[in-house]
Amino acid sequence: MRRAHRTAHRMLWPVLALLVGLGLTMSLMMRAPPPVPPAAVEGQR
Amino acid sequence: MSVGFKAVQWSREKVIYDGILLAAVTLYISAFIGISHRIEPPKDLPAAIDVRIRAFGTCAFLMMTIILSIGPLARLNPWFRKLLFNRRHFGVLTFFIALAHAWLMIEWYQAQGNLPNLLAELTTWADYGKFIGFPFKVIGIAALLLLFLLAATSHDFWLSFLSPPVWKWLHMTIYAAYGLVVLHVALGIMQYDRNPTIPLMLAAGFTVVTVLHLIAARRERAIDRGKPEGSDGWIAAGAPGAIPDKGALIVSVPGGERIAVFRDGTEIGALSNLCSHQNGPIGEGRIIDGCVTCPWHGWQYRLSDGCAPPPFIEKLATYPVRIRNGVVEVSPHALPPGTPASIHVPS
Repeated sequence: MRRAHRTAHRMLWPVLALLVGLGLTMSLMMRAPPPVPPAAVEGQR
Repeated sequence: MSVGFKAVQWSREKVIYDGILLAAVTLYISAFIGISHRIEPPKDLPAAIDVRIRAFGTCAFLMMTIILSIGPLARLNPWFRKLLFNRRHFGVLTFFIALAHAWLMIEWYQAQGNLPNLLAELTTWADYGKFIGFPFKVIGIAALLLLFLLAATSHDFWLSFLSPPVWKWLHMTIYAAYGLVVLHVALGIMQYDRNPTIPLMLAAGFTVVTVLHLIAARRERAIDRGKPEGSDGWIAAGAPGAIPDKGALIVSVPGGERIAVFRDGTEIGALSNLCSHQNGPIGEGRIIDGCVTCPWHGWQYRLSDGCAPPPFIEKLATYPVRIRNGVVEVSPHALPPGTPASIHVPS
């Protein structure tokens, strides 16, 4: 691995990791809530 | 490194490596399908195909995670070089597993007679403006295309044709492919299936790869800072005894490439740290059978002049070395590849 590869690697890696990490976190937080089972709905009534 | 062309240069080690790899993949996929069928027997053909899609998909993700971990692991612990030398076969097999995952997806649509729905999913342009609801299959297709490009150019022919630096640039896109795969799963199956193992698998794989790269990068950065040049421009490597016998010290020229200073008994020589094959770190290798041997794929060079032993013709740049005040010093100016430059020191 040449110095140029290592330099690019060090610059791009954190950016890519941050983007993917952010995408993963957002997709986890924005997930639709699980459907409420019918029995639970009955119970709420 | 062959006088005659062979499509794949098999060796006993490669056969063992590939055998273990194939056995592990077969075992994983069989176990995944078997356990899934036992827990919840599929009620129809599409459900059975769905299990296979997940088996191949998770297998490809785990394989990519391992492949990306091998590089930093090999830097942190030499034991992992055993996994590195044949990593290209690992990558090619990963592409085929990912391809099978994609093919099963098409089969799943076909089994339900609604293949046009797949096309509709990919061409509903309004969905491209969403985050949740983005056509995640497109992300998967992009990752698959990248994996294809990498698998297709993994052969030494392409390495030689493109040159090692260009080839390395191309193959660094594996990181982009991995990121796409993570998002493909996060925006796809993770949105529809509440099984906690899906986000756990994604987060664990992504964290392992990231942390290993950060640790390895920190160690590499220390080497790249380099040692200051002396008043006449030469760089002090250390006392002859500080260089391990049949091993090397790696010194870095500020702003330049690394230099490997080897010692073979009383002979000391400095070579470019870049193997001519794949730019592997020569200085992390050892002297075997009288030749400096690259730790990645075993390419060999003479310490005295950087030339590969006959009949091979590869040459490495050498650097002038000298002893001053009991310290080995290296000139930062490379000599033409193949120039004799090693010295002998009193034992």
